[in-house]
Amino acid sequence: MQATLEALTEEMARDPAIFVLGEGIGKRGGNFRTTAGLYERYGPLRLCDTPICERGFVGLACGAAMAGARPVVDFMFVDFVLDALGEIFNQIAKVQYMSGGRLRMPVLLRGCIGVGHSAATHHSGSYHPLFAHIPGLRVAVPSNPADAKGLLRHALRGHDPVVFLEHRELLGVKGPVPEGDWEIPFGRAAVVRPGKDVTVVALSLMVRHALAACAALEKEGISVELIDPRTVAPLDVDTVLASVRKTGRLLIVDEAFGPFGLGSEIAAQVAERGLDQLDAPIRRLHGAHAPTPYSPPLEAAVAPTAKTVERAIRDLLED
Amino acid sequence: MAIPIAVPRLGWSTEEALFTGWLKEDGAPVRAGEPLYVLETDKASQEVECLDAGTLNILAGGPKAGDKVLVGALIGYLLQPGEVVPSSAPLVVSAREGKPAPAVVATFAAPEPERSRIAISPRALRIAAELGVDWTRIEGSGRDGRIVERDVRAALERGGKPGAGSVRRVIAERLSRSARTTVPVTLVTTADASPLAGIRRRLKESDGPDAPGYTDLVVKLVAEALCRHPALNARWEGDGVVLQEGIHIGVAVDTEAGLLVPVIRNVPELTVRQVAAASRDLAARARRRALRPEEMQGGTFTVSNLGAFAIDAFTPVINLPECAVLGMGRIERRPVAEGDAIVIREQLTLSLTFDHRIVDGAPAARFLGELAALIRGPGAALGL
Amino acid sequence: MNGRDSSRALDLYRRMLLIRRCEEQLARGHQRGLIHGACHTYVGQEAVAAGVCAQLGAEDVVFSTHRGHGHALAKGVPPRELFAELLGRATGCSRGRGGSMHLFAPEVGLMGTSGIVGPCILQAAGAAYTFKLRADGRVAVAFFGDGAVNNGAFHEGLNMASIWKLPVVFVCENNQFATEVPFSYSAGNPDVASRGAAYGLPGVAVDGNDVLAVDVAAEEAVRRAREGGGPTLLECRTYRTRPHSEGMPDFTYRTREEVEEWKARCPLARLRVKLLEGGTPRNWRRSRRKSRGPSRTPRSSPRKVPGPTRPPRPRTSTRSRGSCPRRPSAPLARSRSCRPPSRR
Repeated sequence: MQATLEALTEEMARDPAIFVLGEGIGKRGGNFRTTAGLYERYGPLRLCDTPICERGFVGLACGAAMAGARPVVDFMFVDFVLDALGEIFNQIAKVQYMSGGRLRMPVLLRGCIGVGHSAATHHSGSYHPLFAHIPGLRVAVPSNPADAKGLLRHALRGHDPVVFLEHRELLGVKGPVPEGDWEIPFGRAAVVRPGKDVTVVALSLMVRHALAACAALEKEGISVELIDPRTVAPLDVDTVLASVRKTGRLLIVDEAFGPFGLGSEIAAQVAERGLDQLDAPIRRLHGAHAPTPYSPPLEAAVAPTAKTVERAIRDLLED
Repeated sequence: MAIPIAVPRLGWSTEEALFTGWLKEDGAPVRAGEPLYVLETDKASQEVECLDAGTLNILAGGPKAGDKVLVGALIGYLLQPGEVVPSSAPLVVSAREGKPAPAVVATFAAPEPERSRIAISPRALRIAAELGVDWTRIEGSGRDGRIVERDVRAALERGGKPGAGSVRRVIAERLSRSARTTVPVTLVTTADASPLAGIRRRLKESDGPDAPGYTDLVVKLVAEALCRHPALNARWEGDGVVLQEGIHIGVAVDTEAGLLVPVIRNVPELTVRQVAAASRDLAARARRRALRPEEMQGGTFTVSNLGAFAIDAFTPVINLPECAVLGMGRIERRPVAEGDAIVIREQLTLSLTFDHRIVDGAPAARFLGELAALIRGPGAALGL
Repeated sequence: MNGRDSSRALDLYRRMLLIRRCEEQLARGHQRGLIHGACHTYVGQEAVAAGVCAQLGAEDVVFSTHRGHGHALAKGVPPRELFAELLGRATGCSRGRGGSMHLFAPEVGLMGTSGIVGPCILQAAGAAYTFKLRADGRVAVAFFGDGAVNNGAFHEGLNMASIWKLPVVFVCENNQFATEVPFSYSAGNPDVASRGAAYGLPGVAVDGNDVLAVDVAAEEAVRRAREGGGPTLLECRTYRTRPHSEGMPDFTYRTREEVEEWKARCPLARLRVKLLEGGTPRNWRRSRRKSRGPSRTPRSSPRKVPGPTRPPRPRTSTRSRGSCPRRPSAPLARSRSCRPPSRR
C-alpha cells in the first residue's frame, strides 16, 4: 500500500493532469490510506472528495479523461463500483475504439478485492474476471508491493483505462521495492519460483497461499513452478504454456468465482494451444460460487487457503 | 429525376412486410408528408409517408393488397411534370444484400470410430508416437489406470518396444477381410527393365545413397499407367465402384512389428526424387512406428516389392478397399530372344492382383501391358 | 430586427436549415436501405442545437444523445463526415464504427453521441472538471432528452456539478416522449427547469422551437459557466415531428393531429417569418451566397454511392425538395410541415 502511495505521489508531481476522485480520499487520506498526505500537497481540486455516487463520479471521470485529464477513481471496495458498470463497460471501455483513437481514456479505477476478516458479502468481491471480459479494459491484480508499484506507475503513464485491484489482506504486506523510476509492463507474468513437476498459476493473495503450499511440498521432493500473471487483461498465457511444456500438469488458483473465470480462460487457451503437452486434466481451484458469508468459519470455507492449494496439487499429481 | 418509391425498412431488422394497399391512386398528385401506402409487419400496421412531392406512378405488376413485399422492392415512382418512368430500373439497395438463406443443412453423424478403451494423456500419446512405443500394452499409473508420460518412458527403458502384437492383429484382420470379400485374380508378365536399370545407375552416380530406387521409379510409372487406365484407380465403397480422383500409392514396408503400408500422396504431381524422398521418410517412420494413422489411409493402389528376396512372381493380396496391387519381383539378367538373336536383358517380373468385382480381366491386362511398356521405354514419364 | 440581429438570426437559420436538410436526406437514405440500424432524426428540434451551439466556441465541447445528428452538425461536423458515418464508410466521423448513435469528432468539440441515456450528463460534468482543473475557461454542454431526467445520472451529475461549481450547461430537450412513453406519465415533477432548485442551481425553461429564445438563454448560461458561476439547467420544450426512429410507426402513442399542430410551430418557418418581417432582403441574399459552403447537403441518392467501401460523393443540392422552403411561394404548396403560423 505504501508502495502504491509512493507511485501515486511521484506521478502526481510529474503530471499535473492527474487527479483523484473518491469517497474520503481528501483530508481523510482514503479509507485504506491510499492517498494519505496527498491532500495537503495537492489541494482539494486534485484530491476530490465525492458524494456517494459511484456511477456519477465514474461517469465524470470518463468525461474528464475525454477532455484531457487523467483521473484516478478510488472506490475503496470493488463491490461499490458495480453501480458504475454501465459507465465502465459502455463508455470508458469503448470511447477509444469508437472515436478511432482520437480520444484517449487514461482512467485508473482502483479498489480493494477479496475475502477476509468477516467483511461479508458487500465488501468481499473479486470481480477481475468481469472486467477482463470487456474489450478495451486492462486489469491489474498485483500480489506484492514491488509489482503493485511498478504496475500502478505503468497504468498512470498509459492511454488505456485500467482497473487496478488490490487484495485487502495484502495491503499491510511488506516486501522489497526497488528504488528509482521503473515500471512493469502489462501482460508479463512472473515466474515466482521455478519447478518441474507441476505448474501452478495463482493471482493476488493466492500467490502467497501457493508459496506456502510449495514450501510444504518441497520437503517431500515435489517441485512446483509457480506463476503469477499479475495482469488478467492482457493475460500472459505464453509463460504458462512454456511451463506446462516442462511439467505437463496445470493447476489454476484464484479467489474469484470459477465459472467463466481466470481458471476457465487459462484452461481453454492451454487446451487449445498445448493439448498434447498435458499429462493430466487441467485443475482449477476457485472461491466458492456463492455470496461470501460473514461468520468466520463459514468465511474460511469459501476461499482457497494454503492447505487447500496443497491438497489440490497433491491430487493433480495423482492424475 | 423520377423519385423511386421503395419499400422501407420498418424497425431495425424487418426484411419483408405485408402490403395492405395504396392510399393514393395512380396518377394522383402527392405532397411531401402525405401518407402514401400501408404496410403491415408483425409489429403493427403503418402508413408510409412520402418524403417528396410529385405525381404517383404505380408500377404495373407491383404488389397488390395482401402481397408480401421485400424491403427495398421498387413499387412506384414520383414523377415531376414532364418526367416519364425511367426505362432502366434504378438501383435500390435491399437491406441485406444477400445470399438466399441456405435450405435446411443436413448434418450427418460421423460413424463412431472404434475407440480404444485404454485411457492415455495427450502428452503421453504424443511421446509414445515420438519414441515409437506401443502404448496399447502399457499399464497406466495415473488415476483409474490412465497412461501418463512416466509410464511411456518407463516402458521404453524396460526395452518394452515391443508388442508387435497389436500390429499383427490388425494385419490378420485386414488380410482375412480382403480374402473374404474380394475376388482376386493375379496376372503375371515380364518387362524389359534394361532402360530402367540404366536410369537407376545414372541416378546413383549423381544422387548417391539417396538416389531413387527401383520401387520409386516403378511407383512413378504405375501412376502414369493409372492416369491412362483410371478403371484400376478405383475403390469398392459400400456396394459399388467409385473411381478415385487422386492417385495415392501405398508402398508395402516390412517392419519388425509386421507389414505396414504408408501412402505416397498425389504421385502424378511429384517428381521421381520427391517420390523417393517421401517414400524414404515414410518407410523410416514406419519402422520407428511413428506414422500417423492418416498416413496409412486413403491409398488408391499399392506396390509391393519382394525383389530383394530373389522372388520373381507372387500373388500379392489386395489392400482393401483398393482395386489392385502390383507385386515387383527381382530384376535379373536373362537371355532373351530379340529377333533371331539371343541377347542379355535386365528382366523384371510383374504380378498384378486385381479385384474382379471392380474390373474385368481385359482392362487389367491392358493396364499391366501399358506398365510393362512404360518400364521398357520410360521416356518422359519419369520426367528425368 | 437591426442589422446585427438579423445577421445573427440568419446564421441561426442557416444552422437549422442545414440540420433539417441533412435529416430529410438521411431519412430518404434509410428508406432506401442505405442507412442501417437505427436512425433517430432531429426534425422539429433544430432550434435547440442551433441556438445553444451558436454560443459555443470551437474549444468548447458537447456531449450528446442517441438523437445527435443535429448537435454534431451544429457543433461543426462536416455533413459529408456525418453522411459517410451513417453509410458505414471509413471516411465517417467515427470511421464507420459508430453509425447514427455513436458520432465522435473531438477535433470540433463533439465528444460523442451515445446509445445509452444518461452518461452524457456525467461526461459533460467530467469535461467541465478538467476545464476547471486547468482553469482554461472552456465550457462543456450536455444535451439530453426528457427521458434522461428521471435517470440517476441526472441526479448525480447535476449534484456534483453544483457542489463543485463546474463550467457546464445541462440542456434538456424536452420533446415530451421517452421513445414513446409520455413524459407526463413518467415524471413525478414534469417541470424540468424547477428541478434545478433541488441541486441548488438555476433552472430556466424556454420555448425550444424559438431559436432566438434558446439563443438568449444559452448565452446567459454559457456566460455563467465561463465566468465561474457554475452550471445551469436549461429546459427547451420542443417536439420531434418524425417517429422516434426512422421506420417506426408513429401514431400508436400520439395522434396525427398533435404532430400536425407541432409541425405548424416549425422553428425554421417561425424564424423565417420574423426575418421577412424584419425585411432586409439585401442581407438575406448576400448571406445566402456566403452560405453556400456550410449549407451544402450531401445527397444519399443511391446512384451516387458506387461501392460499399467508398465514401459518399456529396453533391450540392440544386433544387429544394425539403419541407422547409427558402421561398414562401411555390415550395410551400408541397409542404404541410412548415407552413408558417401566419398563413394558417
